[in-house]
Amino acid sequence: MSISEKKLWAAWSRLLTGMVGAILIGFLVPILVVVAVSFQSKSYLSFPPTDFSLRWYQQFIGNDDYRSAILNSMMIGATAAALATIAGISTALAVVRAGVPGSTIVSALSIAPAILPQIVLAIGLFPISVWLGLQGTLWAVILAHAVIGLPFPFITVCGALASYSNRIEIASMTLGANPFQTFRLITFPMIRSAVIAGFIFAFAASLDELVLALFLSSPSTRTLPLLLWEQLNFQVTPEIAAAASVILAVTSLLILAATLLPRLGKDN
Amino acid sequence: MKHRSFLLYIPVALLLTPFFLAPMAMIGTESFSGQQGFGAEYAKVVTDQGIRTVLSNTFYVAAMVTIFSLLIGYPVAYVLARLRGRWATIGIFLIFLPFWASTVIRSFAWMILLGRKGPINSMLLGLGFITDPIRFIDNGLGLMIAMTYIMVPFIVVPILNGLRGIDPNLPRAAAVLGANPWRQFLAVTLPLSLPNVAVGCTIVFVTSLGFFVTPSLLGGDLTVVSMLISEQANRLLDWPLASALAIIVLLLTIIIFALLRLSQLASRRRGKTQAGVFA
Amino acid sequence: MLQMPGRSATSGQNRAVGGAAVSIRNLCKRYNNFEAVVPTSVEIDSGDFFAIIGPSGSGKSTLLGMIAGYIDPTEGQIVVDGRDIVPEPIYRRNIGMVFQNYALFPHLSVAQNVAYPLKIRGIAKDEIAKRVRESLAMVRLEAFASRKPSELSGGQQQRIALARASIYHPSILLMDEPLGALDKNLRDEMQEEIKRFQQELGATVIYVTHDQQEAAFLADRIAIMRDGAMTQIGSPRALYEQPNSRFVAEFLGEASILPVKSASAKQAGQPRQIVLEDGTQASIHTDEDAGPGRFACIRPERITVGPKARGMDNAYTGTVRESLYTPGSIRYRVELNGSGCALKVRVLPQGNTEVFETGSTVDVGWSADDMTILRE
Repeated sequence: MSISEKKLWAAWSRLLTGMVGAILIGFLVPILVVVAVSFQSKSYLSFPPTDFSLRWYQQFIGNDDYRSAILNSMMIGATAAALATIAGISTALAVVRAGVPGSTIVSALSIAPAILPQIVLAIGLFPISVWLGLQGTLWAVILAHAVIGLPFPFITVCGALASYSNRIEIASMTLGANPFQTFRLITFPMIRSAVIAGFIFAFAASLDELVLALFLSSPSTRTLPLLLWEQLNFQVTPEIAAAASVILAVTSLLILAATLLPRLGKDN
Repeated sequence: MKHRSFLLYIPVALLLTPFFLAPMAMIGTESFSGQQGFGAEYAKVVTDQGIRTVLSNTFYVAAMVTIFSLLIGYPVAYVLARLRGRWATIGIFLIFLPFWASTVIRSFAWMILLGRKGPINSMLLGLGFITDPIRFIDNGLGLMIAMTYIMVPFIVVPILNGLRGIDPNLPRAAAVLGANPWRQFLAVTLPLSLPNVAVGCTIVFVTSLGFFVTPSLLGGDLTVVSMLISEQANRLLDWPLASALAIIVLLLTIIIFALLRLSQLASRRRGKTQAGVFA
Repeated sequence: MLQMPGRSATSGQNRAVGGAAVSIRNLCKRYNNFEAVVPTSVEIDSGDFFAIIGPSGSGKSTLLGMIAGYIDPTEGQIVVDGRDIVPEPIYRRNIGMVFQNYALFPHLSVAQNVAYPLKIRGIAKDEIAKRVRESLAMVRLEAFASRKPSELSGGQQQRIALARASIYHPSILLMDEPLGALDKNLRDEMQEEIKRFQQELGATVIYVTHDQQEAAFLADRIAIMRDGAMTQIGSPRALYEQPNSRFVAEFLGEASILPVKSASAKQAGQPRQIVLEDGTQASIHTDEDAGPGRFACIRPERITVGPKARGMDNAYTGTVRESLYTPGSIRYRVELNGSGCALKVRVLPQGNTEVFETGSTVDVGWSADDMTILRE
């Protein structure tokens, strides 16, 4: 009796695990579908694909709009993530380590851009961007994306700083290192993976961002999501699927590098 | 020595003051600068039937997406929390893989999947469940499916953290006291994970309120507030009304998070007094 | 042999100043209305091993933090080698510190950890390499130079922390519960290691611990802290044999502490008669006031049990209420017949020592010299 009851619970537990496994695999399906439709030759989307061709990839490679959009997105993403990371590190140091007054409100403000709907920020930033003469330049989007990227390095670095005692830094200072030397030789090496992770998250947030780009960019500073968006609203062709597949591949490589790099660094 | 640490705030102040705080102040003033007089935009938001429909649509979609995300996310987090080692890593990797794909691309994927002749309709037709293709994209169902797909990782992470923080001896203690696995879950695991469920639901709900890309692509005739703001500003150039709507969304966001914070503080205080009684 | 340069440098530095290596003057720390450390003054001689003990919250760690520089004192001076270091930031104080959990830099190798203070001071690379080798040899960890701290045992990490804190010949070496994270056996071993290390370097050490045995083993002088004040400072022996308060007597070792009711007047050379609250009479040599509010104190090993107790200055019969054999000693709780006065007794057994069972009647006694009078 008790044995069969035990078996029943075990079976139920296996069923639940199996269902969750199916959900997790199911999560990949939409992405695989995008990749699958990119390899067809028809000029409209059909699934399952009936043939195989690289036609849309050739068109994608030859498309100057994509090339400049990718370039713009990379420049915007890298610069915005760098600005966000610098601000995130110094704010995290102030909040977690230095105990500077006002840390509660500064923390809340630094996390707020992650929660605030981007349309709200976009409506407010547009007139400011015009007023500052930034409208239509790369800097308008860069600075907006630095704001929405800020929460990521701030949160990851706060976490890294909170994970070890400030005694490490006090020890460094008793040994004669001034605050700058302590940061360079002790603190930074200890939070390096968090900094890298925060930078990548901020970069990814910029690469994904559409609404601010929609309001703040000009045709010459068009970002990749914006181009995809315009194409989707204009005409849905498998070229978009090809572009999406390439972006997916590049992002996956970036993520892979981001997870492997800190480990390689540790071995040295 | 102390006051020098204020210098650490300089970068964040340089970034947030002109590009975050000033914009917020900007929409505040802009929302009251309409031609029809002070506060007219807000009156319009309250009285205009069209705007009210948009707002209620937004709430409806956000609420449904939160419920769907919780129904899928909780079991996923529960199973992931019990996995150890490599399988746990793989599980988290799988749930986050789509997360790295851009929202535009993920919405696009669902446009393909849910299309009238898309794989889901052809499969359902082929299996004989339906005789006519379901018009996912027109009835809002497709929008909610796609948004749930996008939001599930956001609810899994806090719940997973909460479940992992539960002392494994607590369910064991319940078991020793005679509770079967289901009762252990109801009596120990579920209540202890509720604070993190609240965090996850709040994040999903608030994020869903502000969604723009997915509703634009998959919403069909359904309009949500972000689309309305964008339309007022870009096409109709009614910045005061767009700003008033933005202020309302901003206030809602702040209020919802303040409520979450208050409930956290209240439960912490309750916890403290209880501990006091036992001590 | 290799340690010689280090030793001569340190003691040479100290000798130039002579006398006190550290002089703490009216140092205090207030948080709002709470006085963590009341104004405290103490001189610590060069080459001294000075231990600060006290219960948690007594202010000992705050005091150490003020000397190290990571807590700002409210008032007072800390004079090291003739200069007040309070206005100086931590990194200019030239102080060595060993932290509770060692605070080794996890991303640096053992050798890099030990080299760190020299690198900061801009010392030439080959000189650093030479001194790191010497220093690691001194703590017998040369073979571990390229390991990461996490690959070492707790005791080894402790020795690396010692090497790192001393390689630049700091004026004083601070240690904050350095053995707190180690288990009992390792702690005993490390105590000897620290003592040897300090003597070889001739270093001035300020050592904070809550473990009275550790302090007694290591220190030349001990300060006992309570509620932010040093209640008594002295050698381990002075503190044990002449505690100035009930708190010190109870904190350091065991004692029977008995409230006094009245005492006869002082008479030069004569023992005085005191009456305890429970009516027990005893004779005692003391010049202290011994009225109500005072306590008579007798250490457990000073009480004799058995026939030899008869005829002592204070001799009674009592009943054994508890008899406990522990490694190295026999412990009794004895109640005096008549008054019911309870005494803690410890006997160091020899081959023929009789062990009394619970319930048996015994003679107990002690000399008038072995009893002291304490304030609260």
